[in-house]
Amino acid sequence: MFSKDNKSEKFKDAETIIGASIKVKGNFQGQGNIIIEGALEGSLKTASDVFIGHQAKVVASIESKGAVINGEVRGNIKAKGYLSIGETAKIFGDIQYGEISIDKGASINGQLIMLSEEHKRNERTKEETETPSEK
Amino acid sequence: MHVYVYDDYLNKSKFNRTINRMEIRLTDLGLNGKILRLAGIKNIKAAIQNEIRIGAKTIVAVGNNQTVNKIIGAIIDDDIYGDFQKKTLLGIIPIGEDNSIATSFGIKNPEDACNILLARRVEKIDLGLAGSYYFLNEASIQSLGTRIDIGDYSIETMERGEIKIINLLKDKDEDIRSNPHDGLLDIVIKTKRKDHTYLNAKNFRISNPDEKLIVDGAVEINTPTEIGILRDRVNIIVGKDRLFE
Repeated sequence: MFSKDNKSEKFKDAETIIGASIKVKGNFQGQGNIIIEGALEGSLKTASDVFIGHQAKVVASIESKGAVINGEVRGNIKAKGYLSIGETAKIFGDIQYGEISIDKGASINGQLIMLSEEHKRNERTKEETETPSEK
Repeated sequence: MHVYVYDDYLNKSKFNRTINRMEIRLTDLGLNGKILRLAGIKNIKAAIQNEIRIGAKTIVAVGNNQTVNKIIGAIIDDDIYGDFQKKTLLGIIPIGEDNSIATSFGIKNPEDACNILLARRVEKIDLGLAGSYYFLNEASIQSLGTRIDIGDYSIETMERGEIKIINLLKDKDEDIRSNPHDGLLDIVIKTKRKDHTYLNAKNFRISNPDEKLIVDGAVEINTPTEIGILRDRVNIIVGKDRLFE
């Protein structure tokens, strides 16, 4: 998971970084960690974690394992694991999460729905079947 | 058999001494072979492929990035190889300016290059393709107004800067990881706002009506153009100080 405070750490781990002057349109999918500092319209999906920077403007649904949201998101968010919402975050949409933390000052316009234990268990089993452990 | 392909610009007298020393060194090491001078050849590809058909095992580009660029298309063509013929190796002897490709392969100067040819350390690496042009290092274009279409999504840049499509790093100080064996091209966008964008892809389309794409610092091509990668396509003789694993 991204360390919220350690920028160099998250940059080193990321498979994709979208800078502040970049605009992405369409269905963006990945396997590794994704950092969005710019604009994104469409949908964002990854098997790993998503970091939305404080300057970012995202008009998209987001689906990931974990997520750190510090910017503006207009769309639904589904984080199967840990979701961290920072003080600069502005979210307009429903949020599904496994675990959550919300900083003082964050703005959320939507429903907060905790994923059921059964759902989390199913997701975990699915992940284990997709990535069998090395012998 | 080695075939040494000398670029046109080596005819200049200022390179005579370097070339003489290089030829003496090659003879000392028992690596002498046929010399092909590009200055007198109209169809470079046909001339090199003819040498491969008659048994050239190693083609050595003597010159700079542009020389490598002129040769690479000729040696990767599968049709020229017989059923049991091994793929020809590419060697480089850098002379003069603009030799980032040689640097990537850990080849610093002509003398070093001769020793590397003798050691014959071979790496199979990916080759980038921009339209009908091949590239080993990178292709680059001005970022403002450039659009990249990758599968289901597109990317546009709002600021001036540079987009680099990297197969093989040419500068060890570059702060990205790039692997010429992974079958992926790294797209790096750096703008004047000093923000960084990094992603990788196998195939995509790049377009900018006002700017040209520069391939390996040697060829300018118009866009829109398709960019792709040919995995493990070139066998190259490299030095131990190469800029990749």
